[in-house]
Order: sequence, then C-alpha cells, then structure tokens
Amino acid sequence: MDESGPQQAEEAALLGVIERMAGDLALAEEPARFIAALEAGRPSGGDDPE
Amino acid sequence: MTDWTIEGLAAAIRAGKISPVEATRDCLARIDRLDGGLRAFITVDHAGALETARRLEAEQGRGAWRGPLHGVPLAFKDLCFIRGLPTSCGTRTAEYFLAEGDCTVVARLAAAGAVTLGKLNMSELAMGPFGDNAHHGHARNPWRTGHCPGGSSSGSAVAVAAGLALGAVGSDTGGSIRLPAAACGIVGLKPTYGRVSRAGAMPLSWSNDHVGPMARTVRDCALLLQVMAGPDALDATASPAPVPDYVAALDGRVAGLRVGVVENYFFQGIDAEMEAGVRRAADVIAQLGARVSELQVPDPRTMSDVTNIVSRSEASTIHARLLRERPHELQPVVRARLELGMHIPAYDYLQALRLRARLTRGFIAQVFAEVDVLVAPVIPEPAPPLAHATLGPVHELVARQGRFSRLTRPFNGLGLPALSVPCGFSSTGLPLAFQIVGRPFDEATVLRLGDAYQHATDWHLQRQPLS
Repeated sequence: MDESGPQQAEEAALLGVIERMAGDLALAEEPARFIAALEAGRPSGGDDPE
Repeated sequence: MTDWTIEGLAAAIRAGKISPVEATRDCLARIDRLDGGLRAFITVDHAGALETARRLEAEQGRGAWRGPLHGVPLAFKDLCFIRGLPTSCGTRTAEYFLAEGDCTVVARLAAAGAVTLGKLNMSELAMGPFGDNAHHGHARNPWRTGHCPGGSSSGSAVAVAAGLALGAVGSDTGGSIRLPAAACGIVGLKPTYGRVSRAGAMPLSWSNDHVGPMARTVRDCALLLQVMAGPDALDATASPAPVPDYVAALDGRVAGLRVGVVENYFFQGIDAEMEAGVRRAADVIAQLGARVSELQVPDPRTMSDVTNIVSRSEASTIHARLLRERPHELQPVVRARLELGMHIPAYDYLQALRLRARLTRGFIAQVFAEVDVLVAPVIPEPAPPLAHATLGPVHELVARQGRFSRLTRPFNGLGLPALSVPCGFSSTGLPLAFQIVGRPFDEATVLRLGDAYQHATDWHLQRQPLS
C-alpha cells in the first residue's frame, strides 16, 4: 500500500502548529531561552546541597 | 532476591547478610530461567558481572566500600555505551553505535559499586512507545506476556518488574522511561532536561533526550538519581545546578503541598479504569495532607506538536546515514518516522525551537504560580496486546504510537521532571499508573510526593506470578 498520502497528511498536520503559533514570536526569542527558562524556574532556597 | 529493593540489598550486603557474588548469581540465574520468554536483555554479561562482583567482594573483605550501590546488580538500556560490550540501539546491526568512552551514568553507577548484568532490549533506535522489536524479539510485559511492555526502554522496565535486575537506566525522548514503567508497574523518572548527563548514550533528539533511573520504588530511584545527576564536562547540556540530597528529601512531609490534577487534555478519551486509578491516587495524596485541586494547563497539544517537529528533525539527522545506506534493515514504522523528519524544513525546525522556549517560560510561570506539582495519567490505557503495536498498515501503527505517548511527550518539550508511579491494576491484571510533574530541577519534591504515596499504598509490592 502506498504510504505517501498518510505521510503527507501527517506532515501537514504536524507543521500546522508553526503556521498557527510562530507568527508573533518576538525577535529576541531564540532556542537557548529554553535553558534559561528552566534555570529561572528552579525552586528558590530548597535546592542547595546538604 | 525478587523482593529486595536496591536500598535493602545494599544494606544487607553491608551487613554481611548476602554477598555481591550471591546477589549477582541470583539475578543471573533468574535471567537464565525467565528471559527466554521475557526478552528483557539483548546482551547478558555473565562473566563480566561475576568478575565485578568478586572484585567487590574482595574489596569488602578489606573494608573498602565503593559507595551506596556496592554489590547491587543493575542493567542498562542498549543505547548506553559500555566498553567491552556491543551496543545495538535496538537495531539489527550488532554494533551500530560506537562512542569514545563509557556512558557517564554507567561509569558513575559502577564507581558507586553497581554490578553490570548486561544490556537491555529497547525499541529500535529508541523510536516506539510499545517496546516491540522485530530484530531482538519483542520484550514481554511480565504481568501478561501477550501484552506490550511499553517502550522504548522496554527491557529496562521488564527486567526490573520481573526481578531480573534491582534497577535499570532508561532514556526518555517522548516518554520512553515513563511509558514502560507505567505499563510494567514500576517507577521511572525522567529528570529535568540537563539534570543527568547523556554523554555516551545514543542520542535520538539532542533537544528532548533525558536519561533517568527505573526501579521498583521511588526511594530506589532517588538513590540512583543521587549517583547519576550532576554536571559533566562531556555533555554541554548537563546543568551546573547543585545536586541536592534526594534521599534525605524523602521525609514524608507533603502536608500543604499544592497538587494540581490536570483536567484539560490528560483525561480526554482515556480508559475508564485508568482514569479511576489516577483519581484514586489523587485522593490518597489528599488524605496525606496535600492541597489537591483541579487545574487547567496551557494546551499540551501545542507543546506536543512542537516537540514532535524537533524530535523528528533531529532523529532524521542523527540516523541519516543508516536511513540512506541500510533502509531495508529498519522496521517499516521506524523508517517511516525517520523519512518524515527528512521533509521538515529548517524554518519549521528552528521556529519550533523558538516556540518551545516561549511555551516553556509561559507554562512554568502560569502553572507553578498555582501549584507545586501536577498529577496526570501516563498512558491512556493499560498495556495493549502486542498485536496492537505490530499489526496494521504503517500509517495506522504510527498513529497508534502517537496516541499512546500523547500524555508524556509534552513534558519532554517542557523539560520538566516527571515521575511515573504505579497506582493499581485493571480488571485484566495490568498495571495502572500516574505521573507527578514538578518545577525544573525540583526532583526532590516530585520524589518526596511519590515516596509518600508508596508509603500509603502497596501497589509497588505486588508481584506477577512468574516462577
């Protein structure tokens, strides 16, 4: 069975999120800000070594 | 041996009640007896394990203790590079993956005294949430051997659940630690992105890969994480954040902890017994004194799609040579997923990475202003029959894979710590499970709640009727 049809549909569905969501990304937004978000989200105080 | 925990065995060895050689022999004998049917292992290192155990026993005789895991037999997903042993990554090729040195987590666990029993079965290239593998034999769920064990760290979960190893290491790119842990009724932790080094573990997606511990109890996962976590010069993504004392954090104090049961997305369309099991777990947590509330989180479908775009793109890049030169060696579903990744434009990949940053920032700010941890289902239904993973047209199998991992993948994109904990059994005798998700680098709170739950319940003490 030819699988190219379902694959193209899956690809289109997957990439739809970029079309919907990426249009208003700030110019300053960059991939490395993901790590910054994790570091900034660390609990304060209780995470120091014993 | 089948009832030992890592903590209990380590204490018994230290007290001289059992020796490292006895413990290792016991595991090897159980592997020999049961693994022909379970297919948890790809490589069993009888000679190497016994040699290590004898050395540890000799050191013990001289009063020398390597660390908290002295003499404890463990096993590793077959994407961890271990010098002297082949690494298949679940592929047909015996030694597809070669690294320059030992996997960092394996080296750290060995330095703490662990005995390596061997390398564990997995979905091909770590792509597949059901744990089937046509090349090495489908790993079997110990609770019902005609059912999937979950994947991709299938052998890791099976080995621990069946008492073939005291603990194991898995990797999680879209749920590959938590899915098999949930399906097999053990505990699995996907740590925060960067908490545990991935050096020497085959990548699938640099942006979404996490290496983590799997064991029967939350406490044992805490013990393993304590050894595994921390910065690593060999992995630039390993965080310099200090490693707290995870075991000391298991003090049972959960009164007042703000726990949010996620009401949007996670319960939609899931099996009724699974939903009931997770809600009962939330009730137990409330009885422990936690402040349990219902919560809506930012739509996880967006993060799931973003994570998928990134994972597909990176996986196709990593395995481009295999896909180009030996596509016939790949299972059709794996090949189809890699081929799709080849069609994702750089524009979409990079926008997905930028979106991920924004979504993560927003999720953390919104959700953790209201609660300290989240509770949600891990798998939408108990482990399905193996035929569900292996029979049908490729596009249908890919769709089933996507549905089975839809509750775990968002937290890979978000990078948050997520712990799968068993919480009962279905009417057909298959495990139910829930996940606890915490703030970045707050594994201590996630583990504390999971441990308190296990103190109040006995699901983790149930054993399947294996001989």
